[in-house]
Amino acid sequence: MASSSSSGLTFKLHPLVIVNISDHYTRVKSQAQPPHGSSNGGSSPPPQPPRVFGCVIGIQRGRTVEIFNSFELLYDPSTESLDRSFLEKKQELYKKVFPNFYILGWYSTGSDVQESDMHIHKALMDINESPVYVILNPAINHSQKDLPVTIYESELHVIDGIPQLIFVRSSYTIETVEAERISVDHVAHLKPSDGGSAATQLAAHLTGIHSAIKMLNSRIRVLHNYLLSMQRGDIPMEDSLLRQVSSLLRRLPAIESGKFQDDFQMEYNDTLLITYLAMLTNCSSTMNELVDKFNTAYDRHSRRGGRTAFI
Amino acid sequence: MESMEALITQIQGLSGSVEDISHLHNLLKLTEESLQSEAPRLASFLGQLDPAKQSLGYLYILEAYTSAPISREQPSEFIMSVSTFINSCLAEQIRLAADKFVSVCKRFKDQVVLLQEPLRGVAPMRTAVQKLRSSSEHLTALHPDFLLLCLLAKSYKTGLGILKEDIFEIDQPRDFFLYCYYGGMICIGQKHFCKARELLRNVVTAPMSTINAIAIEAYKKYCLVSLIDNGQFSTALPKYTSSVAQRSLKNFCQPYIDLANSYSSGKISELESCVETNKEKFESDNNLGLVKQVVSSLYKRNIQRLTLTYLTLSLQDIANTVQLNTPKEAEMHVLRMIQDGEIFATINQKDEMVSFHEDPEQYKTCEMIEHIDSSIQRIMSLSKKLSAVDELISYDPAYLAKAGKERQRFDFDDFDTVPQKFNL
Repeated sequence: MASSSSSGLTFKLHPLVIVNISDHYTRVKSQAQPPHGSSNGGSSPPPQPPRVFGCVIGIQRGRTVEIFNSFELLYDPSTESLDRSFLEKKQELYKKVFPNFYILGWYSTGSDVQESDMHIHKALMDINESPVYVILNPAINHSQKDLPVTIYESELHVIDGIPQLIFVRSSYTIETVEAERISVDHVAHLKPSDGGSAATQLAAHLTGIHSAIKMLNSRIRVLHNYLLSMQRGDIPMEDSLLRQVSSLLRRLPAIESGKFQDDFQMEYNDTLLITYLAMLTNCSSTMNELVDKFNTAYDRHSRRGGRTAFI
Repeated sequence: MESMEALITQIQGLSGSVEDISHLHNLLKLTEESLQSEAPRLASFLGQLDPAKQSLGYLYILEAYTSAPISREQPSEFIMSVSTFINSCLAEQIRLAADKFVSVCKRFKDQVVLLQEPLRGVAPMRTAVQKLRSSSEHLTALHPDFLLLCLLAKSYKTGLGILKEDIFEIDQPRDFFLYCYYGGMICIGQKHFCKARELLRNVVTAPMSTINAIAIEAYKKYCLVSLIDNGQFSTALPKYTSSVAQRSLKNFCQPYIDLANSYSSGKISELESCVETNKEKFESDNNLGLVKQVVSSLYKRNIQRLTLTYLTLSLQDIANTVQLNTPKEAEMHVLRMIQDGEIFATINQKDEMVSFHEDPEQYKTCEMIEHIDSSIQRIMSLSKKLSAVDELISYDPAYLAKAGKERQRFDFDDFDTVPQKFNL
């Protein structure tokens, strides 16, 4: 497989597609998974994660391919091909709802492209001359920062004198519609399953804000160090970067007026006072317990408790 | 004499590193009795040692030397030598022999007081306190002596510097009582009545197994100061006061409680008659000056009460309500209160009217932010300390034994978390 595509097409992927693929995969996996048995020998390897397949649909305008939606397909492992009649039926249904969308390609899950994928790809080529192949890697890798989604195109390359169709990677960007942004936000925040009391929700909210501020802080620090080393002369001057930094700095403060300062500081002070009050209450409660314990332990004439039960 | 020479050379030799110092310390502990017997002749040996480097050895010899009674001509010299020693000694070496240092400083203080020159002792004692304590939160035996010298020398500001720091560790309870009592008196001298009230309250509510004289005196002053500061005084003490104090303190301070009752009526005449009847008692307690301040504070309290009812008032009316003699006096009082920041008002001299205002603090300045922020930081560290102490006391055997006794004994169904008896 070659490293990058040279077709010059730009791909735009909507989050809905990613959510759909992941949902499909999770459903199939949880239905197929036998319940955990404690009597398992423990040495048997975990079952192979199932592969799911489906179609992606969207719009192609000129050189831009925008993938909006996707639906699932049945995979026939014996013939190693997708169920054609099912695909056509689904395509008709979707055409009624989304008349603009065409079938742009297909998707699957797994860590890498496999040999059998080329058959499916060729089978789809009669619907779309150059289908795309979207792969989602379901393995969770916490250190990985990017999305585990890759888009492949097919190109005709000459290898060993024989022209062959091979997969080449393409880059893509994520494009969102307002409705998608809300749902992605909701998924990202993963509220606790029992709905949570006010305290846990507040804690979750504040944790989110805290991590956002932490990230902002680290990014600013990186920029700061970069500018410092540029000033020291370790790095050659780059005017375009300096222009960007200065435009970023000029964006804040957003409002600069006396009245805003007054109101802002009053609100800031109010929040600080509430924090202070909360801490005072906390301290008072600890103090109260401490005093009770101290009185019990050390005061000679403290109340003699211990009622005997009525028998 | 030979042993002394040997000792001197050893001190000079072993004052280098930390292991040498501890070795030297052990040696010195063994030679204590011989040093005591040679007391009068030690002066010459002191000259051979350098207090800055060989502080530990110098301290031992100095302590033995000063344990002998000082003759009349020498006190000045004695004071000079001790002050130079305190100024130049090394803190780490002194802390190894803390009790000797404390006794030297106490004798120093006695001499200074005998000579009636307490001011000479204030600065050396302050250095001594700073060198002896292991952290700014540690209360040593020297703190009350230092404050006593400040009081006698009337140098209140120096004392205030030490009082500003919070105390968390105490060596001896008696030090704490004296420290808070003297500290309260210093704050009264500086007219910081709020801090004085806090310190005196600490004395009154400190844990004590029997009533002590310091607490009684402190309670009397506490009563007066809370009248000046707060305008009210309640005989109910907080629940962390020892039960001994709660029961017996009131019995010793009856005149003060009568004074507080007449204060709460708000009438100057009643208050003054009460003062007259109890004058000798107040005088014998050295509290008469404070009582006079209580009387003048009643005027202030009444004027402050007026701000709650009126927006503007004429000076004549103020004088009548507060039972002052002339409107001029009322104007003086109001002016002084405005300057002290106790009320917010403006005086219109043409109409002889006073208009009262609200507190102009808007709480939107940066200084307020810093103020609240620093308070929050303080409370966070205090909260950590409190939780640590709470944990400590939770597994204190005395507490667990008593807590176990108070459970109901006949609930067999209950899960027993604490055994009934502790055999330790």
